Amino acid sequence: MKKYNYSILLFVIFAFLGSSCVEDLPTKYDFTGYQFSNLDANAGQWKLVLHTSNEQIPLSTPAASGSAELLKELADAKEKQSKASSAQREAVKYWTNNPLVRWNEIALELATKYNLIPAPNPDGSYPVPDPANPSKYPKFPYSHPPYTSRMLAHLSVAQYDGLIMAWHYKYKFKRQAPYQLDPQIKSAYETNGLFSYPSDGAVIATASRDVLTAMFPLEKEFLARKAQEHLESLIVAGINVSSDVEAGKLIGAEVAKTVLTRASTDGMKNAQTTRVKSDSIKNAAKERFGWVWENQETPQRMIGLVPLFGKVRLWNVPNVEAVRPGPPPAPGSPEFEKSAKELKQYAANLTTNQRKIANFWNDGLNTYTPPGHWNRFAKEEVVGKKLSPVRTARVFAYLNMAIADAGIACWDAKYYYHYPRPIQTMPGFKTILGTPNFPAYTSGHAAFSGAAAEVMAHFFPSNASQFRTWAEEAAMSRIYGGIHYQFDADAGLDQGRKSAAYSVARAKQDGVD
Amino acid sequence: MGFHFHVFQTTLAMKKYFRFLGLLCASLGIFTLAHAQTPLDGLMMPKGEICIALQYEQGTWDRYWEGSTIRVNQNIGTFTKQMGMPMLVGGITDKINVILSLPYVKTAATGGQLTGVQGIQDLGLSVKAVLLEKSIGKGKLTGFSNLSFSTPASNYLADYMPFSLGFGANELGIRAIVKYELDMGPYFRASYAYLNRGTAQAERDYYYSNGSFYTATMDVPDAFQGQLTLGSWLFNHKLRVEASLTTIRSASGDDIRTYCMPLPTNKVDFDRVEGFAQYYFKTNGGFGLIATYQQVISGRNMGQFSGYGLGITYQFKAL
Repeated sequence: MKKYNYSILLFVIFAFLGSSCVEDLPTKYDFTGYQFSNLDANAGQWKLVLHTSNEQIPLSTPAASGSAELLKELADAKEKQSKASSAQREAVKYWTNNPLVRWNEIALELATKYNLIPAPNPDGSYPVPDPANPSKYPKFPYSHPPYTSRMLAHLSVAQYDGLIMAWHYKYKFKRQAPYQLDPQIKSAYETNGLFSYPSDGAVIATASRDVLTAMFPLEKEFLARKAQEHLESLIVAGINVSSDVEAGKLIGAEVAKTVLTRASTDGMKNAQTTRVKSDSIKNAAKERFGWVWENQETPQRMIGLVPLFGKVRLWNVPNVEAVRPGPPPAPGSPEFEKSAKELKQYAANLTTNQRKIANFWNDGLNTYTPPGHWNRFAKEEVVGKKLSPVRTARVFAYLNMAIADAGIACWDAKYYYHYPRPIQTMPGFKTILGTPNFPAYTSGHAAFSGAAAEVMAHFFPSNASQFRTWAEEAAMSRIYGGIHYQFDADAGLDQGRKSAAYSVARAKQDGVD
Repeated sequence: MGFHFHVFQTTLAMKKYFRFLGLLCASLGIFTLAHAQTPLDGLMMPKGEICIALQYEQGTWDRYWEGSTIRVNQNIGTFTKQMGMPMLVGGITDKINVILSLPYVKTAATGGQLTGVQGIQDLGLSVKAVLLEKSIGKGKLTGFSNLSFSTPASNYLADYMPFSLGFGANELGIRAIVKYELDMGPYFRASYAYLNRGTAQAERDYYYSNGSFYTATMDVPDAFQGQLTLGSWLFNHKLRVEASLTTIRSASGDDIRTYCMPLPTNKVDFDRVEGFAQYYFKTNGGFGLIATYQQVISGRNMGQFSGYGLGITYQFKAL
């Protein structure tokens, strides 16, 4: 009998330990909406980014309170609210009353999903994504950091211009929300008296869907489903009637068009060059400086990542030369040797904390990239400070314009100087991070992060030192990881900060931060 | 009457068998190079006897399965995983054994610039019990159960695959083993296990696993492990040889994304053929030698390992 007792005991232990391992891991930011700290009643007067007038997209005067038309819409809203399925009620919780946060999350997830570097062909060449045939391997887009920074800037600017217009009309027409007009309609979120025409949620749903569909064409159906769910939720939530939603959709679609027109002519389509062009850029650097970066993979990638991203249209920086740093120290120079020696020392004696910093900021392939990482910080900050939707859009628009500008400026420096990576200058050097397919100087992580931290410091001055510390840590992470020299990091941070200063200066013109 | 006779005979034979087995160091077969040791053989150490083993294993691959597609990646070239493992097996009673193991692992690749790592992997603790013994025909049927637990024994980073020392999670395994051995020496063994794995901690708080995960915690999939073995005792029980087919199937998990590094969340499946030999210099304890060979024949999200192992064992009566 004794042996059976043992085995029963073992089974009991097993069952206990097994069940305690089960847990749900978070797949999104955990919040369900909040009371806005400020409704930003004057946001309709804020400076638009790509549009010239807050009435550039005309809206008709909404049906008046008490009109048969509005009463019918209210009755319809009431019915939708009372007959909502459990999925629809879940959608109301998911989208919240600041749904830009969710669309930003969707954008980061798609950036991650498409952040896959092309694998070599059997003959050792590398295929390139083709926007004209996006489903053919490698799928379009390859959402690398420059692509993601540009995608986020266009998305955020469309959202921001759309909400400035929405706010203008809200306070022009002053239509009360359905839960105010009809006491039987309940708001799913904390009531705040925000005027409902046009629906800010519908502006966000439509503009985000359209911009992201252009950026990730294979996700068209997924994005359409998301937008549909979001649009339905606005009425089920009791915060909009259908004419609010229709007006919001109109603005959203039009701002997306403006933004996508800009995107189609910003130079991105030429950023990934031919071999001939790539070689001429390389040779120019060789003649100018005497050194040249070469990809170290096997088989070798003969063209770096987007050599002409530095020529893509800037948002707020006047030109790349305005923030281009001086040349890096020549390989073999004392300053170079000092940095190289430091890299070898880190590699040989890396502390656990340094390794953690390198990995925390790695944001490499199959991640949302450094621009995404800073968007995630912004999201948490915006919700923590309970910003209104339009104030939220403002943060993301300026953040992502600054990040994109820093990326463009950084890429200009990368291919202007064409500086070799540590694994090239120090044969046999091994790293804990993968070395990316573009030159070293300046560090992209440093430039993106330096820019992002300055914008965040402007909008959230109480946490300014935290953001700047993070930027420095992000810059150092690449040195700990063995893929950048100290001078790449220093110049990148500086370049990022200088790039962001133009965006911050533009934001300051509104005088509201 | 016949039944009683058989029981009586079994008991006698069993005593003889255990005395005889007391001369042999119960070894533990082949490690899975991906994971800590899982004891699944069909031998028992008698009460008071201890076996100390030191095993070395090396496995290499130059191709791996990305999902179910095999890929060559010259930026890894040939990948090598070496493992040195001290192990201790002790007979608590004739029917209950405990097994302790603590592997030291070293990884390296011939291609690319990513650095290999080395260090202590997982502490393994296992208890094996005889639940059934019965003479059938000219042989004996034995049933065992085994409960195993392993836990990372250093702060190695699991989220650095394929170089990481292990998957970085606790594993609790429960296993059933049946063996039928002819008195002449040949035997057949089958085992089946459920391996419950916990979570690994990454050093980043966002990752993609068929969608976004905003956490540093990675869920390592549970797995089912099966093994079929044909073996035999030779040369008056001084030599034991075995051929096995081992199969691992993860219960969940995602695939390695195109040209990306593997993750601890991956669904790792494989089938492997193995050869094993154990030789005892004396029939009254002391030193023994182990040699193993393995070849992965199919897989998913896993390197196509082939490898060998060598070990030395020493057995003595402690009590």
